[in-house]
Amino acid sequence: MIYFNLFFGWIKQEIFAIPGRVIALVFFLLLIALPLVTQDPFYLRVFTLALIFAIFAASWDVLSGFTGQLNLGHALFFGVSAYTAGLLNIHLQYSPWVTIPCGAVIAVSVGLFAGIPALRLRGFYLGLVTLTFPLILLGILFAFPNFTGGELGVSGISRVSSSAVVNYYTAMVVFTVSVMIMWKFTDAKSKLLRTGIILHAIREDEITARASGINTTYYKFMAFALSGFFAGIAGGLYVHYMRIAGPQTLDLFFSFQAILWTIFGGIATIYGPVAGVFILYPLLEFLNLTAWGELLRQIIFAVLLIVALMFMPEGITVWILDKIEVKCPRCKVVNVFYRKKCRACRAPLHLVRESAHQYNKGEV
Amino acid sequence: MKLEVNNISVLYDRAVVLNNVSLHVDEGEIVGLVGPNGAGKTTLLRAISGLIGWEKEALKGTVGGKITLEGSVNYNGEDMLKLRAFEIVKRGLVLCPERGRPFREMTVLENLEAGAHLCKDKKVIEENLERVYELFPVLKARTNQIAGTISGGERTMLAIGRSLMAQARFLLIDEPSVGLAPKIKADLFERIKNVHGMGITILLTEQDIGFAFDLAKRHYVLSQGQMMAEGSPDQLLSDEVIRKSYLGL
Repeated sequence: MIYFNLFFGWIKQEIFAIPGRVIALVFFLLLIALPLVTQDPFYLRVFTLALIFAIFAASWDVLSGFTGQLNLGHALFFGVSAYTAGLLNIHLQYSPWVTIPCGAVIAVSVGLFAGIPALRLRGFYLGLVTLTFPLILLGILFAFPNFTGGELGVSGISRVSSSAVVNYYTAMVVFTVSVMIMWKFTDAKSKLLRTGIILHAIREDEITARASGINTTYYKFMAFALSGFFAGIAGGLYVHYMRIAGPQTLDLFFSFQAILWTIFGGIATIYGPVAGVFILYPLLEFLNLTAWGELLRQIIFAVLLIVALMFMPEGITVWILDKIEVKCPRCKVVNVFYRKKCRACRAPLHLVRESAHQYNKGEV
Repeated sequence: MKLEVNNISVLYDRAVVLNNVSLHVDEGEIVGLVGPNGAGKTTLLRAISGLIGWEKEALKGTVGGKITLEGSVNYNGEDMLKLRAFEIVKRGLVLCPERGRPFREMTVLENLEAGAHLCKDKKVIEENLERVYELFPVLKARTNQIAGTISGGERTMLAIGRSLMAQARFLLIDEPSVGLAPKIKADLFERIKNVHGMGITILLTEQDIGFAFDLAKRHYVLSQGQMMAEGSPDQLLSDEVIRKSYLGL
């Protein structure tokens, strides 16, 4: 009983008192509950793909958001892993449990290779070089159509399971683990790993980072490798879900989609890209259901992005958290917005500028 | 902890920034490097701390990115020019950049933690943090403040604190007094003396001759990339040419 009380107290302190965590918990519970509510294949398909794309977008955030290495060809990692997993499955009949990690490992090595220009180039120049990588790979794929299927891609790949619900839950478990790892890796406040603070330092001021003894080369490669790994995981999952590894996994627009989702949700946050994917992707898919939506979806998408960028330049999650959370000015503990005093140190949360009139009347 | 810079030359493309500069700093010393704007003081410190070597690698092949770096920097019997920047920091030779250059979006504490990243022992980090807070009580008051919002003097102190977190044995301080009010300057003066009192060797560049001459007993005068003179403040001031041409007194 006492343990139960302790546990409940902990939950109350660490989750229910912080609005952001409540939202995360509700989101997670909704994800678990979805197949219990509906088993409609369309909804399951949309949300399974959203889970996969969320891993993909978050992995872009690790590299470009946190480390500041602008990568415009992130589909490279996704596509490499997709083709690796697909070809291994088709030609050698390996199960998805082998092919997905294999694809991710290949994506890591490609990530390390793609990291080499990052040592020399910065900003848009790096972006342009990374932009060409998927195009080069596409050229190679089209040069060997017998092996890679050319423009049609490799089809007939086996699924993780024949049941849509099992596929959904597999994607969900992989998503949860991946996002937790990426979040811990990049979180500057983490007590477990110090990498978050180092990545932040490199993004902000590489010279000072060097002068403080940070091996920036090492951490840049680490970010490339980790980002490649999780993009590879997403690529492998995608290929075993869609049962086809085609050139669209290396598509230019697919790379940009990761950037759009991340910027819409909130760059350099990890939860931002997840929120971005889960808002934008289902929305566009559901618009497809109606006749007018199908015509207007691109326009709606564009308008939504422009409005979001105008009014929430740091992303929708940052904007919302800013509205519902208040950091105590004294002890930096996060509080709900309607509290007047900090829950930890009782310091007043909002500065009250009382007018002379109120003061004279003794109201303050 | 002896530092010996032997005939170091730095060229950006064809512009000579440092021309055969040599100096030495003995253990426990505090040495000043004075000279007018564009003399190459900052470049010298950057070369010692390995940043020029890195820049040379990073800018290779770009327009105007051809950097020549010659000579040797001997610290504890090792050539620092052959090491990378973080390896130099690991050996206790740390640079405090001009105007502190904090990580602006991080809090003061996070800045200090970023400096401590080479140290693996949590207990040692705690001790170092205590030491830094003792030395700079103002940083303790600013612990949770975003580093972009602290004042110039605090930024310099933060940079020194960050170096101490990296367990510096030898500090290269670039222009500590730049842009500070006289009162804050005097405060910083005392702090640097305290740091020196902790047994840390210091080489600092300075444009404020008075500040530097009060702080250090031995000075080098650098001008247009060349070493012009070396000596105690009295010696330098007694030389009419040096005093008029380079010190402006």
